[in-house]
Amino acid sequence: MTTPILAVENLQISVRKKPGLLILRGVSFTVHAGETLAIVGESGCGKSMTSLAIMGLLPDAVERTAGSVRFKGRELPITDNRAMRKVRAVEIGMVFQEPMAALDPLYPVGKQVLEVIEEHEQLPREMAWKRVIDLLTKVDLPNPEALAWSYPHKLSGGQLQRVVIAMALACNPDVLIADEPTTALDVTVQAQIMRLLKRLQRDTGVAIVLITHNLGLVAHTADRVMVMYAGNKAEEAPTRDLFLSPRHPYSRGLLDATPNPERAAAGGGVLREIPGTVPSIADPMPGCRFAPRCPNASDLCRARVPEPTFEGAHGYACFHPVARETLT
Amino acid sequence: MKPIRRRFPWAFLGKRLVYGALAMLAIAIINFFLLKLAPGDAAEALAGQAGTADPEYIAQLRAQFGLDQPLLSQLWAFLTRLATLDLGYSHVFNERVSTLILSRLPATLMLMGAAILIAVIGGIVFGVTAARYANRWPDRAISFVALLLYGTPPYWIGLMMILIFAVWLGWTPTSGMENVLAFHTGWDRVVDIAHHLILPALAQSIFYLAIYIRLVRAGMLEVLSLDFIRVARAKGISERRLAYRHALRNAVLPLVTVVGTNIGNFLGGAVLTETVFSWPGVGRLMFDAMFQRDLNLLLSILVLSSLFVIVANLIVDLLYAIINPTVELK
Repeated sequence: MTTPILAVENLQISVRKKPGLLILRGVSFTVHAGETLAIVGESGCGKSMTSLAIMGLLPDAVERTAGSVRFKGRELPITDNRAMRKVRAVEIGMVFQEPMAALDPLYPVGKQVLEVIEEHEQLPREMAWKRVIDLLTKVDLPNPEALAWSYPHKLSGGQLQRVVIAMALACNPDVLIADEPTTALDVTVQAQIMRLLKRLQRDTGVAIVLITHNLGLVAHTADRVMVMYAGNKAEEAPTRDLFLSPRHPYSRGLLDATPNPERAAAGGGVLREIPGTVPSIADPMPGCRFAPRCPNASDLCRARVPEPTFEGAHGYACFHPVARETLT
Repeated sequence: MKPIRRRFPWAFLGKRLVYGALAMLAIAIINFFLLKLAPGDAAEALAGQAGTADPEYIAQLRAQFGLDQPLLSQLWAFLTRLATLDLGYSHVFNERVSTLILSRLPATLMLMGAAILIAVIGGIVFGVTAARYANRWPDRAISFVALLLYGTPPYWIGLMMILIFAVWLGWTPTSGMENVLAFHTGWDRVVDIAHHLILPALAQSIFYLAIYIRLVRAGMLEVLSLDFIRVARAKGISERRLAYRHALRNAVLPLVTVVGTNIGNFLGGAVLTETVFSWPGVGRLMFDAMFQRDLNLLLSILVLSSLFVIVANLIVDLLYAIINPTVELK
């Protein structure tokens, strides 16, 4: 197997100066060139923290306590803000959730794309500007020469997200982290943005880490899926495997919690919820953090943390996995 | 690459000039009646100085100054003079009012300009520094000093500064605007005036400096927590560029508004500062006019001050729209 382009190994993040309060409890995963890995999980499960950690953008209130992030085999200095500046945008680009708030209201959007190029490349202004127009054209913005001089408040959410994508790809990074890139947008615009991301991926070969809680989006765009729960990796599988035969009871629960007309027609109810709530990060439970909500939980689950088990590309951290089956 | 030019807001300017003129008229009328409420007039003051209380002499002075006319016709005479830009003659100072004010105006404008400049530049520099080191010792030191300056009366600071820097240390002159007896010319004169300017400008700016530091610090902290700053950081932009190019320009917007509203206060504060430092400006002239009951001169200064404040605010509004493209002036 080739070296992954991005490898996160046993990444642990806790509240600063309180090593007992773990936000990320040792998460590992890899991303290969050109693929799309989706990270799913409910709010607060640590998926955004993971992406911020990779970029070296962790908030001051938290810190990495263990683990590493490797890019093309080389460890990234994720706690060194200065050194990370050379990684950001150049090797790993990032698209955020809220396009309306992602741009400085006081500068024309083209200038903000230009800023990325000027920061990282020694290019004559005219050529850099030409590249800005090219980028805006590539993200399907109409009339890019004029639009480049518009201020953010003149553009729609979808247009702004296209500008943010152009900004993230301005220096041809190898990895693009998209943290809920469509959550704030209309459904029709969501589909357009995802199609755009997939097309750009085909054209440039950029690997995408898609962070989302929208399983429908995952099914259509991701090659592999990683399911996270309460700071742990619960399951990781090729997209098809996960949707057809989830092994972790939490993944199973997530899939059951999406509206399913077929199941409803069979008398199974439109939605099935997962009982209970996510444990607090201050809760010192010794075993699996999903155990209190899990239908399969045993005393073993409550006593010990399950290690990840792999069957080929399909991995899960569970003592009592759901039996292989086809989704009904 | 060329930006799209925004059209100059002529309609906005026209509307504001009309409002400004109406405001000035109201200010002139209100101040006229307020000043007439005060006991005594120029005739009594002059007669007092001449050492007589002869009613005939006073009545003669009143007739000469037009003070024996009914109140409304005095007001009318004042307003028509204003409209024709003729401010009249000061019998107390034996000089045309316009000449009197114009001769004092540069000194006041210089003092005000220097004070505003010190307050704004100092506010930005210290405010940004405090925000970048939020809750660490540079921030604590700056915030503490700012609070101290904010809580101390400006005239007391002025007197203390004279005592320390002029009397004890002998670094600066105690008062006045220039060393008249030295007959400096050219560059020497500029240096001499700047030397005299330091203390009064500092004294007048210090209260506002404290406010602006706190304002910029709070604004910076707020802006630095916004999403687009994190996005800019994810672009690999340096912290310095982030602070000055993105955060500061956003954080400075409320400062521009506050400076605009403070321009009137700077002018009002000039009376105090110019008196403490014997600065030959309009503020001192106003103070003297008040004591001499030279109501015409006083009114003229008040109306001119209001004109100045109105124009300054208009400029600030235009400036605000230049810094903040999301504002449309209508």
